[in-house]
Order: sequence, then C-alpha cells, then structure tokens
Amino acid sequence: MAGEIDGVEIVARRGRLVRRALTGWGCLMYLFLFVPVLLLVLLSFNRNRYGSFPITGLTTEWYTSVLQSSDLQDAIKTSLGIAAEVTAISVIVGTAAAFPLVRSRLRFRAGLRVAFTLPIMIPGVLIGVSLLSFFTNVLGLQLTTQTAVIGQSVYTTPYVLLIVSARLAGFDRSLESAASDLGANAFQRFRRIVLPLIAPAIFAGALFSFTMSLDEFVITYFIIGAQITLPIYIYTQIKFGITPAVNAVATILIVGSLGISGLGIAVPRMLKFAVRRLRRLQQGRRARPVGAV
Amino acid sequence: MKRNLMTRREALRAGAMGAGAVALGGIGTAAASAASANTPVTFDMLTWNDHYDPKKQLPAITKETGITVRPTLGSDDGTMFIKAKESHQEFAVVSADALWVPYYHQQGLTVPFDIKSFAVSKQLYSASLDVSFWKAGSNYLAYPRAWSALRIYYNPKYVHPAPTSWEVLLDPKYKGKFVRENQPTDIVAEAGLATGSKNPYNMTTAELSKAKQFLQAAKPAYLDLVSQNTGVVTALANGTAWFTSENLGTDIRVKQAGGPLIKAAIPKEGVVGWLDAEMKMIGPDEDRFEQFINAWGQAEWIPPLFKEFEEAWFNESAYKLLVNAGMKELADAVGYNDPEGALKAHLKGPQKNPGAYIQVFNEVFGA
Amino acid sequence: MSTHPLAAPGPATPVRVSRPRLLARFSQYVGFTPAAVLFGVFFGAPMVMIVLYSFWTQNGYSIESRFTVANYQTIFSTPVYIDTFLTTLWMTAAASAATLAIAFPFAYWLARYVRRGWQRPLLFLVIVPFWVSYLLRVTSWTIILGSKGGLAHLLGLFGLNTPSWFLYDRPAVIFVLVYLYFPYAALTLFSALERFDWRQVRAARDLGATQARALRTVMLPQIRPGITTAVIFVFIPILGEYLTPQLVGGTRGVMIGNLVDNFFEEAQFAQGATVSVLIAAVVVILLIVFRRSLEVGEMYGR
Repeated sequence: MAGEIDGVEIVARRGRLVRRALTGWGCLMYLFLFVPVLLLVLLSFNRNRYGSFPITGLTTEWYTSVLQSSDLQDAIKTSLGIAAEVTAISVIVGTAAAFPLVRSRLRFRAGLRVAFTLPIMIPGVLIGVSLLSFFTNVLGLQLTTQTAVIGQSVYTTPYVLLIVSARLAGFDRSLESAASDLGANAFQRFRRIVLPLIAPAIFAGALFSFTMSLDEFVITYFIIGAQITLPIYIYTQIKFGITPAVNAVATILIVGSLGISGLGIAVPRMLKFAVRRLRRLQQGRRARPVGAV
Repeated sequence: MKRNLMTRREALRAGAMGAGAVALGGIGTAAASAASANTPVTFDMLTWNDHYDPKKQLPAITKETGITVRPTLGSDDGTMFIKAKESHQEFAVVSADALWVPYYHQQGLTVPFDIKSFAVSKQLYSASLDVSFWKAGSNYLAYPRAWSALRIYYNPKYVHPAPTSWEVLLDPKYKGKFVRENQPTDIVAEAGLATGSKNPYNMTTAELSKAKQFLQAAKPAYLDLVSQNTGVVTALANGTAWFTSENLGTDIRVKQAGGPLIKAAIPKEGVVGWLDAEMKMIGPDEDRFEQFINAWGQAEWIPPLFKEFEEAWFNESAYKLLVNAGMKELADAVGYNDPEGALKAHLKGPQKNPGAYIQVFNEVFGA
Repeated sequence: MSTHPLAAPGPATPVRVSRPRLLARFSQYVGFTPAAVLFGVFFGAPMVMIVLYSFWTQNGYSIESRFTVANYQTIFSTPVYIDTFLTTLWMTAAASAATLAIAFPFAYWLARYVRRGWQRPLLFLVIVPFWVSYLLRVTSWTIILGSKGGLAHLLGLFGLNTPSWFLYDRPAVIFVLVYLYFPYAALTLFSALERFDWRQVRAARDLGATQARALRTVMLPQIRPGITTAVIFVFIPILGEYLTPQLVGGTRGVMIGNLVDNFFEEAQFAQGATVSVLIAAVVVILLIVFRRSLEVGEMYGR
C-alpha cells in the first residue's frame, strides 16, 4: 500500500539527501508548532499575573486556582462533551453526504460544494445571532448545550464533507465492482474496501471538527443559553485580561491529551508484544517432545 | 428555570424579530408570588466576572436565600443586550453600563423598583442613588455596582511635559507610542471630546466629522488597538508604548507587572467613564430580585473582588473594610471614596446613531 | 489530466446493482438526508435571515423589518471597504500560498518517508497544539515577536534588532496566519498524498522520467483534489480573520474582518450582515469561476 517505502528500491544518494532534508523540515515544523505552546507552559508557572514577561517568580498558584475553580472545571467538561458530540455528528453527516456529492449523477455538484463552503465563509457572529433568533423566535426551543452542538456542527461538518469527498474523488471504483463480482454485499464492500481507503480523511476530518469545536466561541456564545464553555470563559475574561490560570488549563489540556494518546499508542503495542510472547511460550511448551518430563 | 414553554412559544411566534421580545410581563409572576421566601430557584445572571465571587459568595447566597445563581458571562454591552433580548426571559438579572440601563428599560426588558426599600442600599454612597438617568419616577432602574473614569496614563520618562489635552495624540514625537483597548465608540467619543463636543456619545453629524478629522490626524500615534486590558498593561510595562487612555488604577497595574513609573493626567477637554449596575429583568422570578440583591450586595463580599479586579464599588461600607484590610492606598488610587468622580466623566452609553460611530472608526482605521 | 498510462486507474465501471433502478437511483441520495436537514434547516434559515438583515433598517441596536438598500449604499459609497477588501485579498493570498508551500513538503515527508505506524501519532501531534485556545496561541506569538520578546533577545545575541516593520504590521499578521492554518493544510494534503501509490513514481522513472517530471505528471494530477481542498480550508477562513490582525497587526495590519467585527461590537448587525453578504458573494463568484478545478472527480470520467 501507499506510504510504505518500497523495500526493493535502491535509495540513491540524492534520494537519501532529499529524505534527510525533508525529515529536517518535518522536525522544524514541529518546533514551529510547539514553540508558542511551550512558552505558555513556561508562563503558567510565572507569578506575574499579567501572563507575560518578565518572569517575576515561579509559582504553582495558577494550577491551584484551576483545581479550586468549579467554574473553570465545568467549562472544560462542557467543552469536551460538546466537542465529542460535534465530532460524531460532523463525521457521520459529512461522510454520508460525501458519497452522493462525489458519486451521484447530481447535476449541481459543483454548486453544492460551493454552498457547503458558505458556513466557513459567513462570520460566526452572524450565524450565532441568526441561529439564536431562529431557535427562540421560530422554534421556541430552550437554549442548551444541544443547541450549541447543532450550531457548531453547521460550521464543522463542511470540513469533514470536503476532505472526505476530496479523497473519494478519483477513487478507483473498479475495486468495488470487483468485490461485488466476488459476491460482497454493499455493507461488506463499504467495510472492507471503501472505509479503509477514506479512513485517513475521516481521521483528519474528525481532528478538525474536534479542534474547531474546542475553540469555537462566537456561535456558541449566542446559542448555549446559560452554560459556559472554555472559550466562553476565556473570551469573557478579556475585559480584565486573561489570568495565567488559563495558561495552566492549556498546559493541563496539552499534557493530558499527549499522555492519553501516548498511552493509546503504547498500550496496544505492549499488549501485542505480550500476546506474541505468550503465544511463543505456549508454542514452545507444545513443541516440547512428549515424555520429556 | 421552569416556565410554560407552550405559552411562551405562542407568544413569541406572534412577535416580530425587532419589536417582539417584550409582551410577556405577567406570566409566572402570580404563581411565583405565592411561593415562600426561600423556595429553591435558579437565577440566571448575565454579567461580567468581576461582579461575583464563585467560590464563597455564590454558595453563601444559595444557603441564605435558596437562590442558586448561575452566571453567564458577557463580553460587551451590545452583544449582551442582544443575548438578553433574544433569550426571552432566560435571565433574571443582567448587568449593564451607565446609559445602557435606561435603554434596556425603553426596550421593555426591565422592571424599575424602589431601591431605598432594599436593606442593602443603606450601604451605598448616596451619590449612586441619585444618578438622574437611572431614575424612573420614584423608582430606580438598577442597583448600582461600580465605576471608573478613564485617564491618560503616561510614562514620564518619555512623555514630557505631562499631557494636558487630547492634542498630545497629534504630537509627532509620539508617533506609534499610543496603545489603547479596541473600543471603537469610546475612541470616537474621545476624539469628540478633543474637538469640543459636549455630548461625546451622542454627537451630531457635524461633530462626528470633526472627530473623524481629529482621529485621522491622530492615527499615526496609535500603535495598536489591543483586545484586552492586559495588552495595555504589558505594552506600558515593557516600554513598547508610552501612553494610553485607560481605567483608573492602570499605574498600579503596570507597577505590579514589573513596569516603570506611570502617571495619570486628566485632559482639559474631559474624559469618558463608565458605571455599571444590576437590572431586574421581566420574568417569572422578579419577586426574588430584592432578596438576591440584599444577599449579593453585602459589603463583606467586596474586598476579595476588589483585591482581584481593583474597581471602585458604590458600596461605602466596603470602603471601610478595605481600609481595615490595609488596601486604602489602592482603593484611593482607583477613586473608591470619590463616587462623584464617576459622574464627572462622560458616561458610556448607547448612542442614537451607533452605526455612524462605527462608520467613522472604520474610515479612519481601515486599510 | 493525467496522461501517464500508469496513473489512470482505468475506466471505472458502474457498480452493479441487482435492485430495481429507481430504488438504486434514490439510494444514491440517501446519504444526503442528514446533511440536507442540518444545512437546510440550521444553516439555510440563518442564511436567509442574514440576507434579510442586510436589507433591513438598523435603528439603534435593533433591526426593524423595513426594506432598505441604504446599508449597501453606505458600503459602496465609502471607499475604505473596497480598499480594505482588496488589501485583505492579497494578504490572504500571500498567507495561503505560504501555508501551502511549507505544509506541502511536510505532508510529503509524512506520507512518503514515515513508517505507517508512526503516521497517525505524528498527525495527531500536528493538531494538539491547536487544542490550546486560539487567543492564547496568538498572544504567545505577540510575546515572542514583540520588541521585548524572545525573538528580539535571540536576535540581540547576534547584535541584531527586530525589524520595526515586522510586529504591528502586515508581515506579522501573515506570519501568524501561516502558523494558525498550517495544520489544516498539512492534514488535508497528507490525506490526499497518503492514498498515492509511490510505485507509480518509480515506474515513471523506470520509463525514463526525471524525479521532478514523474512527480509532476504522475503524482500531482492525482492529489489535485486534496490541494484544492487545502486551498479552500486555508483561504476562506483567513479571508474572514479579525482577531489575529487585531492582536499582532497594530493599526497597520487591519483586514476586512476587523471592519465587520467593529459593526458587531456595537450590535450593528444590518451593516455587518451587508459586508458579510458582499464578501461571501465575491468568494462564491471566485469559486464558480474556478469551478473546473473544484470539479475534482472529472478526470476519471463516470
């Protein structure tokens, strides 16, 4: 499959050079991505209450204040809950719609694709205010986290839809008809052939939705009613300036997600390794000549 | 909050987007008045985070009155107004700045009340009970909370002589050295003061065009329009900026941030300022407002909030607590004991022509 | 159009269906239903309202449903909006081009030279920094780029000064925008490149093509949908940016989004909606003009 280095290929010296240069570039990009975040980690230990240089002393008081602030903890929980729901909705709705968008004989596919970029184009405030008015004046709904989930999904689903349909476009359908010839039903074809091929796009789309949901402020602000999310907590502090407690939250989020995903990568590998060892042990035992005891 | 959704929905369908929102005065009041004083109830409060202390104050209020306060934070008056209006009685209490208070009332969203009958109002400076635009006959439109007036804060090392007028913004020496919070209307209002307007938040077209010319001339001095107060403090602390127009107490904040000596100046044309207050919103829990204010407004809750946000409250009893707690210097620096100072400033409020203000601002600061 | 024999996966044959044709045709569109509900109702309705706002009368802080074209007249009679929009267009184009230019080699490296098992963790690492609030990340850059910040210290070690044109001006805005949109470009490009079968490049080289030519004629056409999508994901949101220009651009780095946001700050939704509708109209026209490159599936026929 793609992505694997062709084992047989003899890597020319120039190829090796290119490879090294690209690896260097990759590392540089990670540095670029993480530098501002590392600075925030540093500042989360800074006593200076303006969350900036100079460093006026080291302290853990911002972490203490996070642990003591039920407001902030509720905000984090609400944000994570909403982000999970929004991700699920966007992935399902977006992926489902990508198929007809790419494959059906729809006449206005290009037009539809343009229409789906509109939610990215229209300022969030306008979506927020008009949705607020729509929910309360027209539908008479009570504003809750669920209305916020709907509002955010409108904004995140286009990303999943577009990225999955980009991957689906030009996808070789002869594979599917071959599978069909071999007697695979629609579900099997989807499960065994289509899904593995669009999985990277779904993964990327899910990351986009989750990330955007976690940081969405304006739309959510208008339609969430009396709940508070992390971005609402942060943006409404603007009147007085953000306290470094927010830097502490950022640090906790980053370290937490890296820790959990690190475990998520390490644990299955360790399990696999353990299972292999176990199996080998068992095989070893079985292989022992009978009567050796 | 519990309420009759069907009735609400029908009533709301009838109302058009612009004018609708109002017609619902009576619902629920009759039922609620039968309830006893300490029945548990949830109060949604649309406010800023300097108005309450979530750790001690809010639990204490619940214990004392049965009212669970659920704060929803706001950013600026305009969006809060839209949110309060379109959420249809979601909020029992909403906070607003000076002239926004009568505006909410004109829009039929709030209930005036007899403030002198509230026990806690005895703790307030009398000046705060005498704000003309907060009166509605013998009633009052809101419960006054805190105030500030803006000053030109400058770094005397670079800015000398001390500024005496807004004209300092036109001085080529200070090109790219002025930093300010990004508040378009207030910036236009300050330009209005500089060009002699007596009513900087309600300028005529002619006055607006003078203000625009002033701003165009002053634009080179503007380095940055930051989104938050800390941006100003940081810029003054690290010397990127030399002067600003900011709330009382900025000098102390810069010092705390490890910055240089900063001094305050009052330009002869005047300054802008704000005072804010809590409004009693039309809705099912109106009759619990007094109980809420009496618990929330107690002087004992103010010192910790003062320590964190350094604002001058209208609560006189709390001033004594601050002095006893050794915070007199800071309290005086923000003018705590001088509430009349609030009314000397030109107060922030909704304009008749907000669009024209933004238009002026955009024309000057557009690319 | 791909011309290389190995690049074209052969004419696609229609999927065989044993069910009646009508049902099959209908089932093609079933996938649209959830999207149709979500967008038709929860985006369609607001969109109609936004367009209506732009034709209604703003009175103080409320919008009254009286028809007017005054909002449009104001915008067109004030040159600042068109000027700012044009400036914004070139800033957006520059930022998008830079983002794609640095994200492409990265995605290429990740897709081609990184072991499969490591690709997802590394992709995940690209986006994790973005779980920190936008506001904090940008604030962090202002500290680094500021005249008393980390970069100045670093340059100071070499006896250099931070150029004064950088922060509080357009270059800083573009720089931070590139940072902010890098993950969107990188992930999208990766998801296109990951599908590519690198043996095709080798085959092309065996047939005598240079590396560059092989990549251009074999790889590029196949990942074009991904590139187009990446451009959309980067260009369109950047066009509407207002926080970054405000945080790092000073008074010289203003973009059209700031002018729109100023209206919203004072709840002037009619004027704000007008400018937004106009911007959306321009983008839609641009997208329609370039619809051929949007119509990504065509090269394989159908």
